[in-house]
Amino acid sequence: MLNVSNVLNSGLIAELEVGQHFYWHLGNFKIHGQVFMASWIVIAALLIASILATRNVQRVPSGMQNFMEYALEFLRDLTRTQIGEKEYRAWVPFVGTLFLFIFVSNWGGALIPWKLVELPSGELAAPTNDINTTVALALLTSVAYFYAGLSRKGLGYFADYAQPTPIMVPFKIIEDFTKPLSLSFRLFGNILADELVVAVLVFLVPLIVPIPLMILGLFTSAIQALIFATLAASYIGEAMEDHHGGEHE
Amino acid sequence: MLHSVLPNLLAAEGGGLFDLDATLPLMAVQFLVLALLLNATLYKPLGAALDERADYIRNTQAEAKETLATVENLTREYEVALADARRAAQTTIADAQADAQSIAAAAIAEAQQQARAERERAQLEIDRQKQTAMAALDAQVDGLSRQIVKKLLGYELG
Repeated sequence: MLNVSNVLNSGLIAELEVGQHFYWHLGNFKIHGQVFMASWIVIAALLIASILATRNVQRVPSGMQNFMEYALEFLRDLTRTQIGEKEYRAWVPFVGTLFLFIFVSNWGGALIPWKLVELPSGELAAPTNDINTTVALALLTSVAYFYAGLSRKGLGYFADYAQPTPIMVPFKIIEDFTKPLSLSFRLFGNILADELVVAVLVFLVPLIVPIPLMILGLFTSAIQALIFATLAASYIGEAMEDHHGGEHE
Repeated sequence: MLHSVLPNLLAAEGGGLFDLDATLPLMAVQFLVLALLLNATLYKPLGAALDERADYIRNTQAEAKETLATVENLTREYEVALADARRAAQTTIADAQADAQSIAAAAIAEAQQQARAERERAQLEIDRQKQTAMAALDAQVDGLSRQIVKKLLGYELG
C-alpha cells in the first residue's frame, strides 16, 4: 500500500489530493487559493458569455443572444414554477446566478483539464467541490428565504411556523438548520464523489472505461445545479406563501 | 491510495475536506457580486429584450386580429353587395328577356296575321278566277254541246 501511494505521489495523472489546499493568506485569514482561481475562471466565462449575448440585442435573436435567451427563459420558468407568477421576477437574478454558477462550476470541473496547471499544494477543480463554496451558497439561500419571508409578512413570518398546528414549531425551526446543511452537503458530496470516482477509475484503467462515468458525472453535475436552484427557489417561494388562504391579498 | 488520503480528511491543521475558513464569506461576497454583475449584463438587458419581444408579438397579434376582423367585415359587405348586384342583374336579364319575348311574340303574331290575310286574299282571288273560268267553261260546254247535237241530229234544238 505504501508503494502504491508512493507511486501515486510521484506524479501519476490519477493522483488524488483530497483535502489539500493551496493556501493564500489575507491578513490573519487563510483562504483556499485554488477555489478562488477556479471560481474566477467560472465567473469570467459567465460574464463573457453574458456580455457577448447582450452586446447587440436584436429583436430576432441569433448566436450567443439566442443561446443565453434560452438559458434565461429556462431560469425564469424554473423560478416562476417555484415562486409564482406574481413575485418571481425579483428572484430571477439570485436563483439564476445560483444555477449558472453551480452549473458552470460543475461542468468546468469535469471538462477543463485542470491537471495541466501545477499548484504547489492542492489542485484546481470545480469550485463546488470545496465545502466553503457550497456552504456559502447554502447560507446565502437561507438569508434569501428569511429575507423573502420577513419582507413580505414582517414578523408574522415566524407566526406561520405554528401554522397548521403549534406542534410544527420545533420541526420548522429544525428545518431552518437542515435546509442549508442538506443543500451544501448534497452539492459538495455529489461533486466531490463524482471527481473521486472518475479519478480512481482513471487510476485503475486509464483508457475508455472511465468515459461512461465521466458522462454520468456531467449528468449528475447538471442535475445538482438544477436541484440546488430549484430547492432555493422553492424555499423562497415557501417563505412568501400565504398560509391564510389569501386573506392578506 | 485512499489510505494516504484519509488522514488528510480529518486533519484540522493541514486543511482537510471540511476545512471551513475565510473562503466561505469571501465566496459569498463574490457570489453576490457575480449576481449583481450578471443582473446588469444578463438578466436586465435580456429580460427586457424578452419582455419587449413578448409585447411586440402580443401587439402585432392584436393588430393582425383587428385587421383580420376588418377584412372579414369588408368581405361580408362585398359579398352582400355582390349578391345585390347579381340579383339586380338577374332581374334586368329577366326583364329584357320578357321584353324581347313579348316583342318577338307581337312580331310573330303580326306576321301570322299578315300571312293569313294574304292567304285569304289569295283564296278569294283563286275562287273568283275559278268562278270566271267555270262560267267561261260553261259557256264553251254549251256551245260545244249545241254543235255536237247539231251534228248528230242535223238540226238545231230549240
